Amino acid sequence: MISGHALISRLAPLLACLGLLGVWQVAALILSTDSFPTALEALRAIPSILGDKESLINILASIRRMAIGFGVAIMVSIPLGLMMGRSRGVASFFNPLLMVTYPVPKAALMPIIMLWLGVGEVAKILVIFLGVSLPVIYHSFQGAKAVEEKMLWSGAAMGLSALQRMTRIVLPAALPEILTGCRTGLVLALITMVTSEMIARQSGAGNILFNSLDMGQYDTVYAMIIIIGAMGIGLDAAFEKLRSRLVRWSEPGFDIPLSFA
Amino acid sequence: MIEIDRVSHVFQTSGRQNHLALSEISLTIENGAFVSILGPSGCGKSTLLYIVGGFVNPTGGIAKMKGKAIAGPGPDRGPVFQEFALFPWKSVLGNVMYGPRQQGVKHAEAEAQSRRLIEMVGLRGFEHFYPKELSGGMKQRVALARTLAYHPAVLLMDEPFGALDAHTRTRLQNDLLNIWERDRKTVLFVTHSVDEAVFLSDKVVVMTRSPGRIKQVVNINLPRPRRRAELLLDPRYQKYVVEIERMIDDTSEDELQP
Repeated sequence: MISGHALISRLAPLLACLGLLGVWQVAALILSTDSFPTALEALRAIPSILGDKESLINILASIRRMAIGFGVAIMVSIPLGLMMGRSRGVASFFNPLLMVTYPVPKAALMPIIMLWLGVGEVAKILVIFLGVSLPVIYHSFQGAKAVEEKMLWSGAAMGLSALQRMTRIVLPAALPEILTGCRTGLVLALITMVTSEMIARQSGAGNILFNSLDMGQYDTVYAMIIIIGAMGIGLDAAFEKLRSRLVRWSEPGFDIPLSFA
Repeated sequence: MIEIDRVSHVFQTSGRQNHLALSEISLTIENGAFVSILGPSGCGKSTLLYIVGGFVNPTGGIAKMKGKAIAGPGPDRGPVFQEFALFPWKSVLGNVMYGPRQQGVKHAEAEAQSRRLIEMVGLRGFEHFYPKELSGGMKQRVALARTLAYHPAVLLMDEPFGALDAHTRTRLQNDLLNIWERDRKTVLFVTHSVDEAVFLSDKVVVMTRSPGRIKQVVNINLPRPRRRAELLLDPRYQKYVVEIERMIDDTSEDELQP
C-alpha cells in the first residue's frame, strides 16, 4: 500500500514536468510568434523525428559517440585519479595539467581539434572524452585520497601486493566517490556531445537541432531539445539505479546501529 | 620471539621540524606472551607497534621477528586497529574470509573456518551484515575475527578498545582473554588504560612521553585464567595498578622539561 505522502512524492516530478509544459503552452499562446511554438506543437513533432529513419540514424550516431567517449574516459580517468590519490608524485605531476584544462570549455577546443583531426568521429569523441575525464579524475582522486591508511595496512598484512591493494582495496573503497564523478561525467558527455555536433555539423542530434533552426523549423528545434533532455534524464536515472545497487553498502539510511556489544 | 633492538623513530612535523617519537627502545617479547605497551598519548607506543607490524620503518635500530629483520607487513603479524579498518563493501563473512582466501584457502573451507570464528567472537547470525550496520563493539569483534582468520603468530593490537564505551570495553576484554587463553598467541597490546594493561598482560611496558623511552617493564604475576570479579578484589592486582599509575604520573612531569 502506498501512503498519501509517498504517492505525492512519487507524482511530484511528473507534476513538475506537466506544470512546465503548461506554462510553456500558455506563454507561447500569448506571445504567438513563429519562433516560439507551443508545447503541444513541439510534442507533436517528436513522433515524426523518431519515426524518421535519417533522424534516428543521427541520434544513434550521437549515442554511439557518447558511449565511446564516456567509456574510454572512465577507463583512463579512474586509474589515473586513483594513482593520483595514492601517490604524491603522480598527483603533483598531473595536477598542473588538470588545473590548466579545467576552466577551458571543452567544446571551445573543438575548432583546434577539428584542424588536427578533421570533422569526423575522432574529433567529437575526443571532445566528449575531455569533458568526461575531469570530473571522473577529480572524484577518483578524492575517493582514493580518503581511503583509510589502516585499511591498506590490514590488506598488506594479509599479503596483498601494492597492485592488489590498489585494485582490491582502493578501488572498491573509493567506488561511491568514483561513481559520483561518473554521474557528473555522464551528463557532461551529453552536453559536450551536443555542442561538438553544433560546431562540427555532420551528423547527430545536435546536427538535427541546428539544421532545423537554420531552416526555421522551430517545432523540430523544440522537439529535439525535449528529446535531448529526456535522454539526459533517462541516462541519469539508469545510472543512478546502477550506482545505488553497486554501493548499497555505503548508502546513508543504511546505517542503523544495533544495540549489541 | 620478537626482538626490538635500539629502535628509534624520527618523523618530520608539518612545520618541517624533526620530532623524536621513539628513542632507543630495546625490548624482547617471548612467544606466547601477552605484553602491553602503556603510556600517555603521544609517547610513540603505537609507532612502536607499527614498526613491529612492518607498516613503518624505524629511522634507527632494528626490529626482528624469529631472528629475521622485519622488512614489511606479513601474515605472521596480524594487526587490530582502534579504527577497526574493516572493508565496508564486504559483509561480516566477506571480511573474515578475506585473509584465508588471500592465502589460497579454498572457498568452502575458508567459509567454514570463518563461520566458526564469527561464532567464537559472538556474532553468529550477523554473517551477512555490512560493517555500517554494526555497532562499534561488533565491528571490533569482526576485526578480531578477520585477523585471527589468517592465523598470525603475533597479534598486534593498537588501542583496540579505545573507541568503545566502558561496558562494551569490559565485555571485549573478557572475551579477548578467553580467546587468548585457548591458543596463547603472542600479543602486543597498546593501551593507555592501566587497568586494561594489568588485567590482560603478563608484562606491562611503561613508556615515558616524548621522546618515547621505556621507563620500566613490570611483570604481572597474577594467576590465569583471570576472572575480572576476583581480580578486582585481589590486593596484588590493586597494588600493580597503583604502582603503575604512580610511574605514569612521574612521566607526566617529565613532559614539562623540553
